[in-house]
Amino acid sequence: MEQIKSLFYRPSAAAVVALLSVTVFYIFAGVEFGKLMGAASWVNYAARIGIVALPVCLLMVAGEIDISIGAMIPAGAMTTAIISGHFELSMIFGIIGALSVGVIVGVINGILAIRTNVPTLIITLATLVGMQGVVLAGSKLLTGSASVPLTAPDWAKTLFGQFMFGGSHQVIIIWWVVLAVVFWFFLHMSKYGNWIFAMGGDKESARNAGIPVNRMTVLLFVLTSTSATFVGMCHAILFNSAQVSGGMNDIFNIIVSVVVGGVLLTGGFGTVFGVFVGTLTFAVVNKGIDFTAIDRNWANLIIGAMLLIAVAMNESFRAFALRASVGKKGATPEPTPEKAT
Amino acid sequence: MSSSTQNAKAKVSFGRLIRLPETGSFIGFVVVYIFFAILGGAVFVGAPGWSSWLNIAAEVGIIALPVGLLMIAGEFDISVGSIVPASSMTVAMLSGHYDLPATVGILGGLAVGISIGFVNGLLVTRTTIPSLIVTIGVMFAVMGLTLGFAVLLKGSTSVSYVPHPTAKFLLGQFINYMFSVAIFWWLAFVAFFFYILHISPLGNWIFAVGGDRESARNAGIPTSKVTIGLFMASGFCAAFVGVAQVMTYQQAQVAGGQSFIFNSIMCVVIGGVLLTGGAGSIIGILLGTMTFAVVNQGVFFAALDPNTGSIIVGALLLIAVVSNDSFRKFAISAASKKT
Amino acid sequence: MKFTKTLAMAATAAMMATGAFAQDIAVIAGSVEDAFMDKIKKGVDDATHMVEANGGSVQYLRTQNYENFGPDLVTLINQAVAQGVDGIAIPVWVPDAQIPALQSAAAEGIKIMQYNSGLPVKADIGAINYFGSDEYAAGFGGGKYLAEKGAKHILCHIQVPGAINLTERCKGVTDGAAEAGAKVTILETPPNLDGDVTGTAEALKAEFIGDQSIDAMVSCADFGAAAGANAVEQTGLDVMVSAFDFSPATLERIKAGTQTMAIDQQPYLQGFLATSMLFAHLKFGTEISTDPVLTGPAIVDASNVEAVVAGAALGAR
Repeated sequence: MEQIKSLFYRPSAAAVVALLSVTVFYIFAGVEFGKLMGAASWVNYAARIGIVALPVCLLMVAGEIDISIGAMIPAGAMTTAIISGHFELSMIFGIIGALSVGVIVGVINGILAIRTNVPTLIITLATLVGMQGVVLAGSKLLTGSASVPLTAPDWAKTLFGQFMFGGSHQVIIIWWVVLAVVFWFFLHMSKYGNWIFAMGGDKESARNAGIPVNRMTVLLFVLTSTSATFVGMCHAILFNSAQVSGGMNDIFNIIVSVVVGGVLLTGGFGTVFGVFVGTLTFAVVNKGIDFTAIDRNWANLIIGAMLLIAVAMNESFRAFALRASVGKKGATPEPTPEKAT
Repeated sequence: MSSSTQNAKAKVSFGRLIRLPETGSFIGFVVVYIFFAILGGAVFVGAPGWSSWLNIAAEVGIIALPVGLLMIAGEFDISVGSIVPASSMTVAMLSGHYDLPATVGILGGLAVGISIGFVNGLLVTRTTIPSLIVTIGVMFAVMGLTLGFAVLLKGSTSVSYVPHPTAKFLLGQFINYMFSVAIFWWLAFVAFFFYILHISPLGNWIFAVGGDRESARNAGIPTSKVTIGLFMASGFCAAFVGVAQVMTYQQAQVAGGQSFIFNSIMCVVIGGVLLTGGAGSIIGILLGTMTFAVVNQGVFFAALDPNTGSIIVGALLLIAVVSNDSFRKFAISAASKKT
Repeated sequence: MKFTKTLAMAATAAMMATGAFAQDIAVIAGSVEDAFMDKIKKGVDDATHMVEANGGSVQYLRTQNYENFGPDLVTLINQAVAQGVDGIAIPVWVPDAQIPALQSAAAEGIKIMQYNSGLPVKADIGAINYFGSDEYAAGFGGGKYLAEKGAKHILCHIQVPGAINLTERCKGVTDGAAEAGAKVTILETPPNLDGDVTGTAEALKAEFIGDQSIDAMVSCADFGAAAGANAVEQTGLDVMVSAFDFSPATLERIKAGTQTMAIDQQPYLQGFLATSMLFAHLKFGTEISTDPVLTGPAIVDASNVEAVVAGAALGAR
């Protein structure tokens, strides 16, 4: 019993419970489980969000947020399509181009974050809006159109953009799983992970403890921007074209996945596994409705309700866990005010 | 001695003027306006130009005011994006589809906004979920409800409504052909919120809640009531814009409210409201809204690619915030020097 | 209560699974927030009665919105294939992305029925028929109509840059207008203005004032007509307002004279016919010898608006 209880104390517990509840709900609503499992649509959707959600998780644990990713995904797609599709340069240049755009914007975000006192929500809001304009104006300027076709060579398709397993699962899923393992290691097994948690807890203390806060911040922003352009690039290769788009939905979807996964908005708390499960949950919620008899018109209502319930569960489980640890140790686990002097 | 005191007084008042947080926003507005006036020429500086950006400013401005107050109090409201279409659909359904009198429709729309705001406030104060997440969830839920009910009751996501002449005159008319009556409503809201924030004691409470919620509560401020009240205000204002839109364009549609979410935040931030809460002013929000609208519309008069407008807004946002940051440090340094 | 329902559904599913008599089709469409798609959905819903009466089923799959419509459509195609449908009815808005997916669906023996958009690529996909408008022909008819009504300079408004069907429309408008001696300017508003009537109205107002030789406009979306009418009201300039597709408010405007015409592609028919004819082909082996079947363009103006109003009130027009 104690062991089961302790499972619930893990940060990712609520995410797992959310995923299970959502699946059960949909089964009651008439989903044919076999068909749902066979259809790749929700896993593909999860991979798209998931790859970006991973570094966003790390960034949020460090106490920052990045909403410019919404514009970076189409930016990556457009860059690849324009370089390799419109200008017909070698695919390698298209890939390098997309990733470079991500690095550049990530560096801009990071430098603004460390050089000014401006909250990162606002900084990345500014880069979001700016990049939306750059992508659209750029594509009109360079190609005269807002939709650019791209035919990628076979090797690129195999690596980044093809359908496997009988034609419906995207290879990007493999990338997602691999990156999840890499990020898990980075956050939970390496010393950099400790640094990130420390930064999320208290930046000043982290800096005083000798952690290179500025460099880590810039690195994290580079990771989020680049992973977004990477996803965009894969999509351009997979779907043979890129369109300009606002990207607003991706922002909300990614934040939702990360928060359902147990990451605290204020920083200092969260797990990669939780975010992985949170992403799956969100994808199931979004796509599962297509497999039920529920009228699609109510889809957003279900998404909203599930989000609120999942996050509320997160909060209660966390309170649960904190109380339990207080009971067990007999002392307050919170950093005591006396330490601040 | 008297002359030096006089000089000192003069210096202090000019210095104080520069150090007002609104000064930064005002300078920003002037610079942006001159830029587009040069590019847009006589047309932009004339009535068409003024009416153009004022019309846009009025719509987003009415929402930006309570959103700004919420940010001062340390909260976000993302759900405004879904409240606008929800209320306009309610008005169109009640008065258009079901043929109830205009007043019932309008009150219905406003009631929808207030109730959603109430739910937001309740969830934010009763749970530990951050307001950003609560309002995202509520946004999705309201979008779903609006669409579901529209199709259920009307079978369509677009409802037309020919408004009663009085309603149209009050809410949907254009003065002198080009100036939307919404502009006057906006200014009325500005005056109202100015009173709330800068004259009434409620304003101090809002600043206190934004500064440090716990201390505010300990000081006896009813923090929950303040928060819920602010969310209801933003719900009301978003609903008001929805109602005005139906009266102006004689139709309601389910989509189209998303842009208000980030646009209102941008107006507020350009206007000098700190994201961390605890500082800001109504005049600043007013100026921020005007700056945003000028850029948004100026591109069309300046024959620039409208997408460059987005690039300019992005840059503007950064400049505004960084300079507001510096102005604030400036102001704080001046204040400490005086003591 | 839920439990018995689940049992019943499981039993039905078991019964259905045993027979090869079930023809399942998937209808893929655009965002539910788009009032235009609503009329298509009504057509699909009405046809679903007939399909279900004959033992089949209809899956209605839609994109969440138009933020990412290329990949979204392909995802839905793959989803339908994974669900094991026998036929797919779909509009083709992004040929580069959709053609490979549809070709591989066809390779698995799934029948493709096209509607609403993509007539030029029908041969590449091997669709069994097409129900819709020829975007180019619709634009051509609209441009010619306006020019013949006296327009000399028409503004063609596109609200979703990158959508090939909208680009085709304005191309048609340009050629149709040219035939009757008028020129056309294209205005593409940024995607964040999609659905934003106020923003679009102000943008159009700026265009009208900036170039006073514009004496007519046609918008690729119905809300663009509302925006255009508002811009005309504000400026007092003499600009004929028109649009592709329409809503109840549009009909009011045409009756009141503030809108000149709307180009109708009869989306109800598109949804209804695509669904029912696809099913009939799968189940009974029928084929229509008219290929493609054009549901538009049909011009709605003051001369025939009354007849349309009744249908609009029922959500079918």
